[in-house]
Amino acid sequence: MKILVVDDSEAFRKVMIELLVRVGFHDTTEAKDYDEAMQVFRKERPEISFVDMILPGKSGVELTKSMLSVNHEAKIIAMSSIINKKMIREALEAGAKDFLLKPTNEIALNAVLTMWSD
Amino acid sequence: MALFSRKARAPRADGEKGLGITRKYDLAPGHSYVVEESPPDISFDAFVNIVSTVDSGGKKSVGLAVSRLHSDLIRQKYGLETTPIYWLATRAGQDVISPTNLGILTHTLMQFVEDNAGGIILLDGIEYLVSNNDFNKVLRTIDQVNDHISQSQAIMIIPVDPRAFDQKELALLERNMEKIASRPKK
Repeated sequence: MKILVVDDSEAFRKVMIELLVRVGFHDTTEAKDYDEAMQVFRKERPEISFVDMILPGKSGVELTKSMLSVNHEAKIIAMSSIINKKMIREALEAGAKDFLLKPTNEIALNAVLTMWSD
Repeated sequence: MALFSRKARAPRADGEKGLGITRKYDLAPGHSYVVEESPPDISFDAFVNIVSTVDSGGKKSVGLAVSRLHSDLIRQKYGLETTPIYWLATRAGQDVISPTNLGILTHTLMQFVEDNAGGIILLDGIEYLVSNNDFNKVLRTIDQVNDHISQSQAIMIIPVDPRAFDQKELALLERNMEKIASRPKK
């Protein structure tokens, strides 16, 4: 299963990918912003995308909508380092399946992947 | 019958509005959990996730947090609106518990357990309690609350920075608690 991690922090992407590998998901790819994410998303067709809600330029909510307009079966998991209920609601309304608080951990990540991977 | 007199603090806990996301932590009622970590990210994530979601039976949990972090910071970062949060500090004020007043801390936690079946407690700041009290006194406080938890449907999460304790102290702290562990790999 291909997993995409979208976050403007290179350090966070690295940690997240290491965590994904640790919980058994080795086929990963990454992007730093909306444009790069859409490019990778179209090319790699990831089944699950972890999307930071606060990105430079277009937001994670806009990215979620764009990704789902390309592939409505894709599963988007919103991420943020704070719990802003309005932002989470907007992400879910845009089609995100779930939310992860950053920095995430193996337990929460495993739970999300168990829930949303087929 | 109430455990404590009316003088004891009785935190009123209202449930948080659900976030509409998945319950990510599967913690058993009647158990206390220790998480070896610093900063206490997993503990806060678990606590906030449980008070903001419903379990598999559709049931909500109310929470109570005690922390060295000021309640305003916690509310801001974790979006907690109704959960009572006590600040462990030496300053006077509302919703502040002095680290030297272990009696009030014990009463607050035990009263919460009594009043909120299936509630969840986050007890952050054990290191601060130990730096203000004899270790054995803090241990007795935790054991007392833990005993109360085990006779209830409540859950308690205690983050512990393992660097702050020697091996014997850590073993004593953790002896009657479970460690939050990862789910099996897919």
